Amino acid sequence: MRKPIATVAAGGALAALGLVMVRRRLGRLRLRRGLAALRLAARGGMRYTRSAPALFASADRNRERLRNDLALQTAEDVADTLGAMKGVLMKIGQMASYVDDGLSPAVRRTLSRLQDSVPPMSADLAARVVMQELGLPPERAFARWDPVPIAAASIGQVHRAIAHDGRAVAVKVQYPGIAETMAADLDNVSLLRRLLRVTAPSQDVDALVTELRDRVLEELDYRREAGNQRLLAAYYDGHPTIHIPQIVGELSGRRVITSELSDGARFAELTGWPQHERDLAAETIYRFVFRSLYEAHAFNGDPHPGNYLFHGGGRVTFLDFGLVKHFTLAELRPLMQMARTLCVENQPEAFRRSLEDAGFLRPHAPLSTETIVDHLGVFYATIRKPGPLTITPDYASAVVRRFFDLRSPVAEYVSIPRSYVILQRINLGLFAVLGELSATANWRAIAEEIWPFVQGPASTPMGEAEVAWRARRRRLGPASEAEDAAKPAIDFVHE
Amino acid sequence: MTDPYADAAGLVARSAAAYASSVPTDPADDGFFGPASVTWRVSADLSSIVAGLRALLVQALHPLAMAGVDQHSDWRRDPVGRLAATSSYLATVSFGDRAAAERAAARVRRIHEHVHGVDQVTGRSYAAGDPALLLWIHAVLVESTLVACELFGTPLEAADGDRYVAEMVVAAELVGVPRALVPADLAGLRQYLSSVRPELRCTPAAAEAAAFLLDPPGLDDDIADIWQDVRDGATAALPDWAREMYGYRMARALPLARRIEIRQALGVLDAVFLGEPGVLEARQRIALRMRAAQRA
Repeated sequence: MRKPIATVAAGGALAALGLVMVRRRLGRLRLRRGLAALRLAARGGMRYTRSAPALFASADRNRERLRNDLALQTAEDVADTLGAMKGVLMKIGQMASYVDDGLSPAVRRTLSRLQDSVPPMSADLAARVVMQELGLPPERAFARWDPVPIAAASIGQVHRAIAHDGRAVAVKVQYPGIAETMAADLDNVSLLRRLLRVTAPSQDVDALVTELRDRVLEELDYRREAGNQRLLAAYYDGHPTIHIPQIVGELSGRRVITSELSDGARFAELTGWPQHERDLAAETIYRFVFRSLYEAHAFNGDPHPGNYLFHGGGRVTFLDFGLVKHFTLAELRPLMQMARTLCVENQPEAFRRSLEDAGFLRPHAPLSTETIVDHLGVFYATIRKPGPLTITPDYASAVVRRFFDLRSPVAEYVSIPRSYVILQRINLGLFAVLGELSATANWRAIAEEIWPFVQGPASTPMGEAEVAWRARRRRLGPASEAEDAAKPAIDFVHE
Repeated sequence: MTDPYADAAGLVARSAAAYASSVPTDPADDGFFGPASVTWRVSADLSSIVAGLRALLVQALHPLAMAGVDQHSDWRRDPVGRLAATSSYLATVSFGDRAAAERAAARVRRIHEHVHGVDQVTGRSYAAGDPALLLWIHAVLVESTLVACELFGTPLEAADGDRYVAEMVVAAELVGVPRALVPADLAGLRQYLSSVRPELRCTPAAAEAAAFLLDPPGLDDDIADIWQDVRDGATAALPDWAREMYGYRMARALPLARRIEIRQALGVLDAVFLGEPGVLEARQRIALRMRAAQRA
């Protein structure tokens, strides 16, 4: 009789044990250090996107055929593949990359396998979504339509097409039913909390849950992404090196978003270019991140290598605005104060007070101000002093390590207020990118150009070109008009 | 044995490997079910873990079946090894070609030859090869699969439920139940299960096994949280009389919202299983053959 009862346990039971094991192993390795299912997914997400353009046109024919043979045919297939928390897990992973670090190999593997388990939509299924959103089948909505997707996108895939006006466009098509499924999964706050608690124990879990839900729910409606992209495209209209593809409004909707097709070198190619090209590209990325934040009050929370195209001379096209966070002036003010008090005025006590005011540091923490500056100053290391400085991969990982060093004396008293959770992408994502380029610049001088409380003079040729751009912008104001026109399309202030 | 998780960790890897290698890469034939079968469809369902747990709980209520496990199985010492072997057996019978399935079944029948004794509770003698006991184990698993699918998975149409019961007859035959004894439709299955009910009771051994399954010792808080969803699902899926025998507080039918939550937890567990080496490839092999069968 020993066998019969044993025969009974379904293979699925092992899955549960698997979870126990994975968690257990993590627990042992990291103790309080939070690895997370989150972070797991995060890395997976990055890798996925980075390799995405080659994904379906892979040289590996078998793999390509496999993915086509397994293509999702129906909305039910989509639900089977991405429902029951799996799509949400992938997003958690993507988000985890700016929340925590130090993913265990087991967790990373889980997330990356999860990514691998999602095949593209069949041509028919994608066409049906286009039909529902645009009212016409893709062959008629567009002058030419390529039924083979060129890339996997977050919760969808990208097709190449030619619009009737002759423009080459990229059309992102969302998996049907995914919005409803993921919205339902995001309602399970208690499960999200458990997942995040395990993956990111060093963080305020409730803040994370709220931030995750808000950002993902926004991302599910492509009209919001179109609004973000329109806003930033208008803001950067005429910019010497920053290019943002135009949205084709009449060919976009809730689950379809059409923008001008851009061509350029991928990040992997850029890393093979001469150092001065890499420095220029890095300068553009840096300017883009901080100008968007301080002037457009918007931050693209997805600054990873897959979202850039490089054209040489520092010109960069920025893609994918699904994860944009808008800030109010009240939210930005403490950030500026922190930078000003530490870097410009060199007032440690005032720096400490602004950390406390912003909610980063618990008031009356039994720590010397010196200790605080010592530990948190590392995030400002590139801009505390003027002069050329190279951001190395080592610096980038030191920032990450410091960020998650829970044994540090300040860890207990530091937390990240919800509105700023996404900004950790600067520390973790942006510096990782700049570090990979080993980029050199006078970052402080560039920051001074951008800081509203300094408005320093142009410090580089690109800065001079920006001065001209800004003057033209002020004079003609076409961009600001467009900006105003774009505003009603989006909910500019979230909190 | 100081750290039970060390064993369990090995089990997951072993079980996943067993599962992956039991799904053939180059089968001689489609086996006893085939890619167009309902069996293949339900075996990948998220609800299968709940089905497995529910089946174990119900099966344990047969004093003779439980006595065999209690007196002969090494489940206490090596619960993980027990599950890995099971996983391999089920995958081989479901997805393997006929020769592989028959080899696996022959091995099980050989082991059963040595499993016999006297149940201390009822004083009755038992033998694992007794078709009556084998049929009980079989019928409970088949029914549990359907119940769990209905509650937490992708429910089958009525006709597919009957088809599944009919397809699974051969699984009972493989372990040694004469075909004529095996229910071949849903009504027959339910009738058979009610007919056994007078024999059932919660023996101390059953209570011990159930307690272990519902609350595996050593889980840390986070895991215990997730496991609670699986446990709630399995106990909610039990027949009323089984819950009474175990003395679980009677749960009314689960509200839809709770069922959805449990399904979401099952999805997380499934994602973890998918992370084990070879599992995704095994699933893709199955999916490809099912797609090909659909097109044909």
